[in-house]
Amino acid sequence: MSSFLYPGAWVGAVAAAVLIAVPILIHLINMMRHRRVEWAAMEFLLISQKKNRTWIILKQLLLLLMRMGAIAAVLFLVPHPKLQSQLARLLGGVKTHHMILLDDSYSMSDRVGGASAFEKAKEVIYRIAESAMAQPSPQEVTLLRFSQAQRAGNPQPDLLQVPVDTQFLQQLKDRIGPLEASQTAAGPLPALKAMQQFLAEQPESGERILYLISDFRAKDWTWPTDLKEHLLQLDRQDVRIFFIQCVETMHENLGISELVVLPGIRAVGAEMFMEVAVTNHGDSPVSNVVVSLEEDGAPRPAVTLRHIRPGETVRERFRVHFEKPGQHFITARLETDAVAADNYRYAALEVPAGLPVLIIDGDPAASEGRFLALALESDPRARTGILPQIEGPRFLSLQPLQKFHSIYLVNIDRLEASAIRALEEYAAAGGGVAFFLGPVWRTKFINDELYREGKGLFPMPVAAPTILRVDYLERAPDIEVVDPRHPILGILASERYRFLQSVIVEQYFAVPRDWKPSAESGVRVLARLRNAAPLVVEKPFGKGRVIAFTTTAAPVWNNWAKEPSFVIAMLQMQAYLANQPAADQGRQVGAPLDVAVDLAQYDSQVRIIPPMGTEGLPQVLDAVVSKDGPPVASFLDTYRQGIYRVQLTKKDAIQEERLVAYNVDPTEGNLKLVGREQLTNLLDPLRFTYSLADAFQYQAEETGWNLFQVLLYTLLVLLVLEQMLAYSASYHPATPTAAPRD
Amino acid sequence: MPDSKRFLHPEAIKRISRLELRARHIVEGFLAGMHRSPYYGRSPEFVQHRQYAWGDDLRDVDWKVWAKQDRFYVKQYEEDTNLRCTLLVDVSNSMRYGRGAMNKYEYACTVAASLAYLALRQQDAVGCVTFDESVRVVVPQRTKRNHLDSILQAFHIAEPSNKTDLSGVLTTAAESYPRRGIMVLVSDLLAPREGLFRGLKLLKARGHDILVFHILDDDELDFPFSGPTRFEGLEEAIHLNCNPRALREGYLAALGAYLEEVRRGCSRLAIDYVLLRTSQALDAALAAFLSYRLSRHRRGLRKGR
Repeated sequence: MSSFLYPGAWVGAVAAAVLIAVPILIHLINMMRHRRVEWAAMEFLLISQKKNRTWIILKQLLLLLMRMGAIAAVLFLVPHPKLQSQLARLLGGVKTHHMILLDDSYSMSDRVGGASAFEKAKEVIYRIAESAMAQPSPQEVTLLRFSQAQRAGNPQPDLLQVPVDTQFLQQLKDRIGPLEASQTAAGPLPALKAMQQFLAEQPESGERILYLISDFRAKDWTWPTDLKEHLLQLDRQDVRIFFIQCVETMHENLGISELVVLPGIRAVGAEMFMEVAVTNHGDSPVSNVVVSLEEDGAPRPAVTLRHIRPGETVRERFRVHFEKPGQHFITARLETDAVAADNYRYAALEVPAGLPVLIIDGDPAASEGRFLALALESDPRARTGILPQIEGPRFLSLQPLQKFHSIYLVNIDRLEASAIRALEEYAAAGGGVAFFLGPVWRTKFINDELYREGKGLFPMPVAAPTILRVDYLERAPDIEVVDPRHPILGILASERYRFLQSVIVEQYFAVPRDWKPSAESGVRVLARLRNAAPLVVEKPFGKGRVIAFTTTAAPVWNNWAKEPSFVIAMLQMQAYLANQPAADQGRQVGAPLDVAVDLAQYDSQVRIIPPMGTEGLPQVLDAVVSKDGPPVASFLDTYRQGIYRVQLTKKDAIQEERLVAYNVDPTEGNLKLVGREQLTNLLDPLRFTYSLADAFQYQAEETGWNLFQVLLYTLLVLLVLEQMLAYSASYHPATPTAAPRD
Repeated sequence: MPDSKRFLHPEAIKRISRLELRARHIVEGFLAGMHRSPYYGRSPEFVQHRQYAWGDDLRDVDWKVWAKQDRFYVKQYEEDTNLRCTLLVDVSNSMRYGRGAMNKYEYACTVAASLAYLALRQQDAVGCVTFDESVRVVVPQRTKRNHLDSILQAFHIAEPSNKTDLSGVLTTAAESYPRRGIMVLVSDLLAPREGLFRGLKLLKARGHDILVFHILDDDELDFPFSGPTRFEGLEEAIHLNCNPRALREGYLAALGAYLEEVRRGCSRLAIDYVLLRTSQALDAALAAFLSYRLSRHRRGLRKGR
């Protein structure tokens, strides 16, 4: 005895059969309802019938079939059928492709007790897999993590169109079970683009479902213009879209947004300033936030931030100094909160043993250079890390200058052309040069050799040594700082430190009256004398800087060298001029670690050691010759924050180590969410199904090849053909035409 | 109006009464009349001289010729005689068809009655024959005015019920009416064309002037049917279930071919043929036809002179 799988289905089947048979019934009824006509001219009727018989029967049969087909199409249209039969399988139309985009940015590690958002996301994927396995039709799964999608030019899906079989769930668990949220801030856009690229490469067939499993942070979805466009494209391609949110409520979170070395002299023993910034991503203010610090892995006094308002970023300076030259790193850490990744911040810096500085003094007795050297060099009580070296003018022509972090010129009456050229090359390459004019300097030499109509090193033309008239009333100080924010003299000009008021300038080199620095040259006056004559002038030269003082460094034309402010100004100027490379401010996780290798000094093999505590193993890479630069070794697996050690081997087998800090994108720590309503408003008119991760259940019965459109078009075609055929078969009412008359 | 008079339409009579039914050819009447006779007789129209023969009436001798030539010639004059008109009216079953005011049978009888009235009015002899597959009623030719009643009665009692056999009927008519006159055939001609033309040819051979009034209903000419229809033959025991609109084109083509064949056949035999549809106003149709015929007759006369 047969039975139906779905009770009551037979009622519908019978009703459908009756409806489909309606045209036949109408035809039969019409056959019985023939109008009878007694007709005389049967002869002609029979001729016509004989001639058209076959064609008429064919047309009538076709018409009948079309009418039955149209009714059948309407019957099928009503319930929006999906094709899942064996026939459809043969046609290849019911294959379901589950495309899963998994957010593994570090905000997905959001956890306040219980499971993290990422673990919930994995559970959702398992549920999708289980449902897919229960389907009779072929299923396949593509899984792409956000972090893998943003790999430059080479997105790496975890699964790519893997057919679902009985072992699939176990295979999936083996694959994604050990995964954790990455430390990237990858957004959904690269993943969507990558998925669209996969789709474009694959033949379009069957049902396609996109699952976007994410925490839906506001930073990614507030202005989703590109995102919306890509989603709408998928929607137009009949891809069903599911948004599955793994976080229900926003949690409080603090994150270290910055850890930087502030500009200044960086050398062994010298005190350096660093700054740490903490952002409060929560909705309530926090107080007494302790930032623990480590110096090369060893704890050092923590920094406490008094109060941080919601959304505010608070910065705090702290001093560091290193007793050993070489690579060092600083770690800042906050206490554990909802998201761990942004509680850490790393900074790496190279600290040299000292900063060699060259002082060129035309006087063999170094009468002026000594004052400068005294101001700059270290003292047991105040270590500056600067190593001044006083030399004569010929030194510039004879020795390489690259090792010096800055060059000071005093007491110069003339310089050889080669010396001037060497100086210009040095400055153009990023070096800092300072001139102190004085009685020895000659106007013609300065203007013709050094200034050269603005093309030379010297910032301005000069006129002649001039005496600054004595201000007996002492109404104004001799030195007036033009830009109080400038790092050299700004600190001296503040109300707090009135050091410059006691400086007396008696003589200086005037500049021509009509000279005014042009905006294009970048030349600017940093300080003027009381009579508005320029005292300190700065000029950018290539990558370097040039500072010119129109008076002496020694107490010859002024008394500044006797004042404490002179030392401060010189140290500030040294920090400003030094061509010391900026401390490595760190890179964001995921960015490739490119190490340029000078093959003249190092082996081509580079050893990279990922941060401690990560699964990454040391890797040895070969530097590859690049088109427009030195050979580069590129390390791509930088998905963990921390200090990466780059080890290079010199030709003499001595190993050199560089430290590179990788940090997370602090903006990802902002845990503000967008919900269903906001998504609906932002993405309108996108069609999507929203669900929370805990409530999500894969609706298997809704999958299949949607026949609605096919049936709709079929119905329209049938109706048009039916009308054409009915017209052709003369079933339409006769149009009033002139009857044939004899 | 008695039932037998239903075929006389006053409007039609009034319209055609001023017209004449003239024979196109010489006819052999038995009374003096308005038609040309094959015989010589008393009339103003001189025809020829002939040498006197024994027995000729001396009144016909042309004395002027005798005086000049001393020979006896007699003068011969054209004889005018009356017309013998025979109305052959089809009363077969197919004539029963018609959905308008008149069916084909009624229309045919009306045409015939009108012509009979016209002929009697001009003192011609009129008779009629109703037929289907054989001759049913024969009314001999008479010139009396009250003879019209006999003709109308013959039409009235006719009961369309049988098939048509034009060939047999026309052959019979040819044999029955040896003297030349006008034969008027009023029928739907829905019969084999070979038999029709054979019969007409035979009549023509007898010297009759033949008029064919082809009566068809509007439906037969236009075939306006639609919707599922069962056509049942009026004369044949056949039927056809069909969608008439699907067959209309083929039907009209076949009908057109048939009409063309009939028209050509009549033209070939020098028979006056007119197709009348039952919706046409009878008086106008008859008047137009008779006027046309009369004018042609006069033109013929002028040519003869």
